[in-house]
Amino acid sequence: MVAVRADRSGRNTGATERTRDDRPPLFAMIIGLVAGAVAFLATLIAAPIGGAVVGLGVFALVAGSVLGVQRLLTWAAGLGVFGLALAGYAGAAPEPLLVAAVALALAWDITDHGLSLGAHVGRDGETRRSVLVHAGMNVAVGAGSVAVVYGTYAVATGGQPVAALTLLLFGAVVLISVFR
Amino acid sequence: MSEAVAGRRAGAAASESDDEGDDAAEADVEPTVRDPMHPFETERWVGVAGAALVLIAVGVLTRQPGPVLAGAVGVGYGLYARFGDAPVATLTVERTVSDDTPEPGAEVTVTVRVEHVGDGRIGDVRLIDGVPPGLEVIDGPARLATALEPDASATMRYVVRAARGEHRWEAMRAITRSPAGSMERETRLEHDTRIVCTPELSAGSDLPLRGLTTQYHGSVSTDIGGSGVEFFATREYRRGDPLRRVDWNRRARTGELATLELREERAATVVLLIDAREPAYVAAEPSGATAVERSVEAAGQAFSALLAGGDRVGIATLGSPDCWLPPGAGTSHAVRGRTVLAADPALAPTPSDEPFHPSPWFRRFRRRLPADAQVLLFSPLVDRYPRTIARRIDAYGHLVTVLSPDVTTRSTPGERLVAYERRERIRTLRRAGIRVTEWGDRSFPAAVAGATRRWSR
Repeated sequence: MVAVRADRSGRNTGATERTRDDRPPLFAMIIGLVAGAVAFLATLIAAPIGGAVVGLGVFALVAGSVLGVQRLLTWAAGLGVFGLALAGYAGAAPEPLLVAAVALALAWDITDHGLSLGAHVGRDGETRRSVLVHAGMNVAVGAGSVAVVYGTYAVATGGQPVAALTLLLFGAVVLISVFR
Repeated sequence: MSEAVAGRRAGAAASESDDEGDDAAEADVEPTVRDPMHPFETERWVGVAGAALVLIAVGVLTRQPGPVLAGAVGVGYGLYARFGDAPVATLTVERTVSDDTPEPGAEVTVTVRVEHVGDGRIGDVRLIDGVPPGLEVIDGPARLATALEPDASATMRYVVRAARGEHRWEAMRAITRSPAGSMERETRLEHDTRIVCTPELSAGSDLPLRGLTTQYHGSVSTDIGGSGVEFFATREYRRGDPLRRVDWNRRARTGELATLELREERAATVVLLIDAREPAYVAAEPSGATAVERSVEAAGQAFSALLAGGDRVGIATLGSPDCWLPPGAGTSHAVRGRTVLAADPALAPTPSDEPFHPSPWFRRFRRRLPADAQVLLFSPLVDRYPRTIARRIDAYGHLVTVLSPDVTTRSTPGERLVAYERRERIRTLRRAGIRVTEWGDRSFPAAVAGATRRWSR
């Protein structure tokens, strides 16, 4: 015997919600997986040890997406950043590392976006446009950042020490803090 | 915070491009009332600046350009996360249903078209339609996620299964996010849509309800002398008595004029009392019909059967929004009864929020109940109160019959206990001389037929 009640908050419960599939949309999971694979391969080419850690992060990302655990995604992103740092420490070239950084950001962003879409809309709903627009924005921001950063690096590498670039970036970080 | 937009384009530039015909067509559309909430931070990107700084630090310490550059890209994402705010969902909602007076169980296609009437693009909006709680979505979620340019529109279509009652759509929730998803805002979009689903009362000629009310056809015998067919008493002749009823045998025997009193027959007055308190909203399984639903269905059959038999029938509910249809007869009364059973808020498919106060309710019910009325109480009997009420009504001299849909199951010890308690309640009622009929998987008419055979013995 089951009691039937209307939810006081005005949300729909009951039969409407019971049948809804609240897993993330497959489209978002696929984009996340592809981007994760790119990040993994790029880091692997740059430095195998970093690639292994990034691969672990991508695995955690997929697991978090399948299990619907957002905390796992955060840990996966942290693991990915650690992998990038390790690859850099191992002396990776900047170019594959930049590709890996953007791909990792995209993989995490779109997986997390997919998770929230799953919670709000569900797998059966129409979400493709939302996922595409979100992924497009992310790629645009990543590509823009890479263009600015790599351009600056290419111009500045004429014997300039890394410290000068770092100071430049320190200014950018201060800029973020001002935005806050 | 609410603002009403009467289906018009809000942007000045957009309205210039509108032609007259478009405006005239949109003027018919119900206005959408928007209620935006405050935006809040989703904290999605928290830590991105820290991660960027860690990468830069690693690069500086190891004198490697790679991590520094990767960290710099992270700074770019950090700026992106701060960029933009979660916009108010300046949307108009237009909801159309394929049939606004469907039959119960019919599939109704709902088409919802939202149009972005503000300016500035909404990069991420999730729409959750406020499907009435009593309706079940059977095809496609009533949800949509998309991105909308100004003047763009999106359409979603889903199918609900109609259930008895009047169903009004609640506000659609539109959740918008900033481009990076770091801010989120909910806007409620009200658009008045409703469907009324009125079941046909099945012709109840096959329902042997006679046994529930009286053993005579269409009437109840009373202890009042008058006109009728059955001998009751004789009395002294009074001027004006009809000649047909003068006892001519007695006149021949004794020479006195006497008048025959015949037992007067009256149509029964029956009040169908439906238990619609929150405890009565129980079903045997999550997707099954609630006891209230089954009671209403049975009451509908009883209503038409009793009316067809010439009785006067009224309807009352045991529950919080007051519902009372005084006993009556005739075609218009049948229509009124059908409307009450179909769409009265007291018998809604989900329980109401109003608290139920038993004592004032009983006083009001007693005041309204005609002195000679019988009561048919429809209740699942899953708590103590209906039993008390049945005995109290009985104590006031009304004939009470309890008709109980059985919604108990027996798979766990707890469920078996509830079923046992219910059986005990039925036993107590029967011991007190109150007739009880229950029906589980059997149909209501079959259960009544069985009970009638038992009672007539």
